[in-house]
Amino acid sequence: MISRRGALIAGGAGATVVAGGGAAYLVATGDKPEPAAPASVDARGKLLWRNWSGVQHAYPAARLAPKDEGELAQILKTGQAPIRPVGAGHSFTALAPTDGTLVSLDVLSGIAGWEGDQAIVRTGTRLGALGPALAEKGRALANLPDINKQSLGGALSTATHGTGQTLQAMHGDVTALRLVTPSGHVIDADATRNPEVFQAARVSLGALGVITQARLRTSANRRLRRRVWLEPFEEALANAEARWAQHRNFEFYAVPFTGLAANISHDETDDPVLARGPDQDVEFLQALRGLRNLLGFATPLRKAAGRVLLSTAKPETAVDEGWKLLSTERPVRFNEMEFHLPVENQLKALQEVVATTEKERTDVFFPIEVRRIAADDAWLSPFNGGPRGSVAVHAYYRDDFSFLYQLIEPIFRRYDGRPHWGKLHSLNGGQLAAIYPRWKDFLAVRQELDPEGRMLNPYLKGLFGLS
Amino acid sequence: MKRALLIVASAFILSACGPKAPPPPSAEQALALRPADARLSALYETSCHACHAIPGTGAPLVHDRAAWDGRYKRGEQVLLDHAIQGFNAMPATGQCATCTPDDFKALIRFMAGREDSAK
Repeated sequence: MISRRGALIAGGAGATVVAGGGAAYLVATGDKPEPAAPASVDARGKLLWRNWSGVQHAYPAARLAPKDEGELAQILKTGQAPIRPVGAGHSFTALAPTDGTLVSLDVLSGIAGWEGDQAIVRTGTRLGALGPALAEKGRALANLPDINKQSLGGALSTATHGTGQTLQAMHGDVTALRLVTPSGHVIDADATRNPEVFQAARVSLGALGVITQARLRTSANRRLRRRVWLEPFEEALANAEARWAQHRNFEFYAVPFTGLAANISHDETDDPVLARGPDQDVEFLQALRGLRNLLGFATPLRKAAGRVLLSTAKPETAVDEGWKLLSTERPVRFNEMEFHLPVENQLKALQEVVATTEKERTDVFFPIEVRRIAADDAWLSPFNGGPRGSVAVHAYYRDDFSFLYQLIEPIFRRYDGRPHWGKLHSLNGGQLAAIYPRWKDFLAVRQELDPEGRMLNPYLKGLFGLS
Repeated sequence: MKRALLIVASAFILSACGPKAPPPPSAEQALALRPADARLSALYETSCHACHAIPGTGAPLVHDRAAWDGRYKRGEQVLLDHAIQGFNAMPATGQCATCTPDDFKALIRFMAGREDSAK
């Protein structure tokens, strides 16, 4: 995220403080151990499934990877319920866990064909593999999320998004899809064929059946110029709206306990390739964690040290094809809550989140991600009805994340936020009906397609208010 | 006594002359490496490849014996549990929802450069 220098300086400062007598504090507040893991195999001999961050797990009775739609239809009709589709397991919510049948579409991957500039993509395709596949035809997705390990099906079903004032979430580029229902029927849907299924299924949490392919609008595979730079948080706040209007993609990270923000912009260019270089996120996070461990007992000192150390970081620039730049590796695991807020509320909510975190939770060190997403009309899209500004709060995977529910979610709800479907939140039933105008329409389609609730695990029953 | 010293010295010499770990693959070689078995290759490409074939992700690089040997010495069962349960930056099951324990063992052996179990 920033140059290696910032991280190295922070590491050096850490050593100095330790040498100066801070070792006892380090011992007291250093990293927690690796969280206890569930057993690899349960008493029935069933293998563990666990999500990316580690907070969700299950021991499915069957784990199946159908080779074609016919095999998938048979599984959906006769497999042990709950039947849950799973991609890369990147959702933090309990969308995938099942004691019944876990269905992976890993075999149903790749580009199935083209209709003009629209690609028909099998939904088991991982986003990281889709970029180079589209680039072979000189095409690209208009936008990508900041992680590209997810399957296309998982990303669409949870309204996964990137950032950009004029750019929709990934499902906004879906112009048609194929759904295999729990009764084994295959439904092709678009804006005119089965339009209600189309509007319900584009963002449907894997609750209507399994989407096997989607027709996606693509864009010319342009080179982008990526810029990353730090500045005082107050300046980032003051300039954010202008930057969302100015840049193709713009986001920033508020870095708590430093008074700083890291800005990231992408703009189209014909300039020659300037390689991105090794990923610096891990070193940046290590520096922030070091500051937390060593100076977490004194917020003013931690802020002063953080500001001095990180402000020496040099801006980064890279030029390359968009699919190589828009996503990052993110190898440090975390848990996350993200809400999508009306744009006029976004920065006010962010300021409250930062102030509350710095006042109440000195153990937090992850930067807070701030993005902007254009509107679309999928019924369960958080961006239905207008553009939204997202704020995402992270907790290191070894750290307690209960503060997300206790302190952060109430702020997001007060500012009329809608939760990211794949990220931690506690909303369900009536609360969701109140903020999604087409909630009942979605539930009606769900009831029609899956009257026996074969796709519903306990989490989804609660989410839909059906338990 | 002299004889014992000679035996120890010989052992050191033999040890020094023993097989050295091969150099790690280049970035291009790492990207291109695949298990010979087609099914395993497909599993590898969908899951492990995203991190273990790219230098700098933090994951031990495929066929980098220097990065793998210390881990491998901890035993196959430890590596298998880490692969299934997740450990540090390694996500549980390497994000392969349908891999079996035997698949994980074979993938670990491939990435560790130990496909020949006699190595």
